[in-house]
Amino acid sequence: MLTASYAAVLDEVRGISWPALRRVPSAVAGPHASVVRGTTAEFVEHRAYRQGDDPKKIDWKLVARTDRVYIRLSQEHAIHPTMLVVDASASMAFPPESHAKWDLACRIVIGLAAVARHGGDPVGLVVGNGSGRHVVVPRTRRTVLEEMMRALAVTPAGNAPLAPAAATAMRQSARVVLVSDFLGDADALLVGGRPFVAAGGELHAIHVVDRGELEPDPTKLLLADPEQPSVRRPMSPPARAAYLQRFATWRATLARQWRNAGASYTMLVPGEEPLRRAVRRITAPARMPRVRG
Amino acid sequence: MTFLAPAFLYIAAGVALGAIGLHFIVTRQPLSSLLPTVRFMPPSAVRVTTVAAPEDLRLLALRVLLALLIGAAFARPVVLPKHRPIARVVIADVSRAVGDIATVRDSARALLAPGDILVVFDSTAGVVRRGTADSVRRLERSGRDGRLSPALIAALRAATELRGSADSLDVALVSPLRTSEIDGATLAIRTLWPGRLHLVRIAGRADSLAPPPGFSVRASSDDPVALAATIGGRQSSDTAARIVRDRGTAADSLWAAEGQRTLVRWPVNEAPTGWIARSSPDTIGAVVAGESPLVYPLERRWRLDPAAPPARVVARWVDGEPAAVERRIGQGCIRDVAVTAPTRGDVMLRPTFARFLAALVAPCQAAGGGPGLGVSELAALAGSGPLAATRTIPAPDAVATPLVPWLLASALVLALLELAVRRGSAPLWTDVAAAEPATPAEAA
Repeated sequence: MLTASYAAVLDEVRGISWPALRRVPSAVAGPHASVVRGTTAEFVEHRAYRQGDDPKKIDWKLVARTDRVYIRLSQEHAIHPTMLVVDASASMAFPPESHAKWDLACRIVIGLAAVARHGGDPVGLVVGNGSGRHVVVPRTRRTVLEEMMRALAVTPAGNAPLAPAAATAMRQSARVVLVSDFLGDADALLVGGRPFVAAGGELHAIHVVDRGELEPDPTKLLLADPEQPSVRRPMSPPARAAYLQRFATWRATLARQWRNAGASYTMLVPGEEPLRRAVRRITAPARMPRVRG
Repeated sequence: MTFLAPAFLYIAAGVALGAIGLHFIVTRQPLSSLLPTVRFMPPSAVRVTTVAAPEDLRLLALRVLLALLIGAAFARPVVLPKHRPIARVVIADVSRAVGDIATVRDSARALLAPGDILVVFDSTAGVVRRGTADSVRRLERSGRDGRLSPALIAALRAATELRGSADSLDVALVSPLRTSEIDGATLAIRTLWPGRLHLVRIAGRADSLAPPPGFSVRASSDDPVALAATIGGRQSSDTAARIVRDRGTAADSLWAAEGQRTLVRWPVNEAPTGWIARSSPDTIGAVVAGESPLVYPLERRWRLDPAAPPARVVARWVDGEPAAVERRIGQGCIRDVAVTAPTRGDVMLRPTFARFLAALVAPCQAAGGGPGLGVSELAALAGSGPLAATRTIPAPDAVATPLVPWLLASALVLALLELAVRRGSAPLWTDVAAAEPATPAEAA
């Protein structure tokens, strides 16, 4: 199932790490700084002894100097389960000839999954399309990427909402990546994402936009929505100018809303940049302060 | 070319014009393209652009041609020959009354022109519309009597087919014009033709013009045939006809073959040569030899052997079965008669039996043509005045229109071609409806 395209993706993302933006609540040993204080060699601070603490953690030298009982606290490292949610609605099959949006979404999903799994994190996938949801539960085993590739071997269709798929992912992991064009239920996704981020979750919104959407072909006279065939509009030059303005405003609003919700927002355009750079932009968002242990 | 029902052609032209108009009227909606973000496009009214020139000229041409072909087929086109001043129907007599058939051929050939019609008749009439020159060359005299009435009817019918090709119509009759060739209906049929008749009288058979000859009879003294010949005063010793009341001898046959003589073998009680006994003899009411009927209850004992050599029938029973046949031998002929001569009553003494007997002994292949028509009869037959003008000839009831099947076949081919072109071209309509108004749920 490892196609040549995906093999190239794995080559491109080799060496990229994806540290957690915040301390992770997990207790399972992993590469990310955990909110749990433990007794490892990486000392962080002292804390006054409380009844019930392990007497082995008492810093006896400090007791001798201060005549007070303290215990040593050290930094724990944990895994960061990552779920990727990809939108497979009909609008992702654009342009109809090349399906460039869907192709980029698949490659970015596999790239991010490879990066996370390489760091030791379990990765999973939820594909939401018209025929239902296909879920790959978070795992760290080697074959999980192949499972995800198989799950992505679908043709985008329908206009099923993505929010239920995102909710499934948010229940299963602390880091969720939404890959979509957000032309469906963007508001519902925002509503569902805010409490997730507030609860300590890490949310990434990857907005896939095609060049043909940014600058529609002016020679086309009548345009139709692939998800709602009843919506069709003639494109005159004034209408096209209005479209450009309204679409840009919507994108800016969407980015602001995601960022205000505590998520990272990244817009990707097929063919605009190498995949490695795109993955780097997602895994190390410039505007999000990194929280280190 | 003309059309028998031109109204269909006008209708087809109207349909073709309608098709052209529809091709001007029909407009094509633009094909819609997919754009997921079309919701950000402000809704506006769809502009309709009228197409100034017809699209898909191939389809238009096919449809127009199809309509015109169907209309032309229903309009029944008729190809008219080149218009001439005079068109002619030549009636050629090939009956046995004709003396020299070459005379008929020459006369008919001189009269016929391309496009004319030839009517050949003896007792029946046949119409030759194409290849008349070849048909004239192959004319042969038949052994049957001539009947002018059916020939005239056939000629009058054929003449109506020429009404569109000439100003005047001429009907020419090449015949010896014997009295035996006309009947009570002939002159009445003649009056149906509005113009004069062009009569070309040729010589008939000399023997047929000769008066009935005398004959000899070899029979017993009380034989009814011999008695009838004696009473009629027709019996003589040196004649060209001989009746033998037996099956004949070789000397009789030699006698007939050496000259143009007629040997009549009429056995009294046995079957003539070439005849076999009937399974059940019957009695029939009459027998006819040439133009001479004999009405009497006659016993019929024999029938013609199917295996016998072909022969010409010179007498028939009233139901059509042969009663006497003739076969050529040398320069003469032998006639075998299968009629039982009546032995009772006085029928043998009546003139009808004498005429019947004369017909049986008539010269070979000439059972009597009768004399030629008289001056008054010829004048009545020829008529007077000019040739018949075509405008006075009624149109024929049924006119052959050979172009119609070809036109319909061409229309069928065009219809199939139109279907193929229509299916092969881009869809004329998409499922695009008018632009929908903006929905409240749409973003921006």
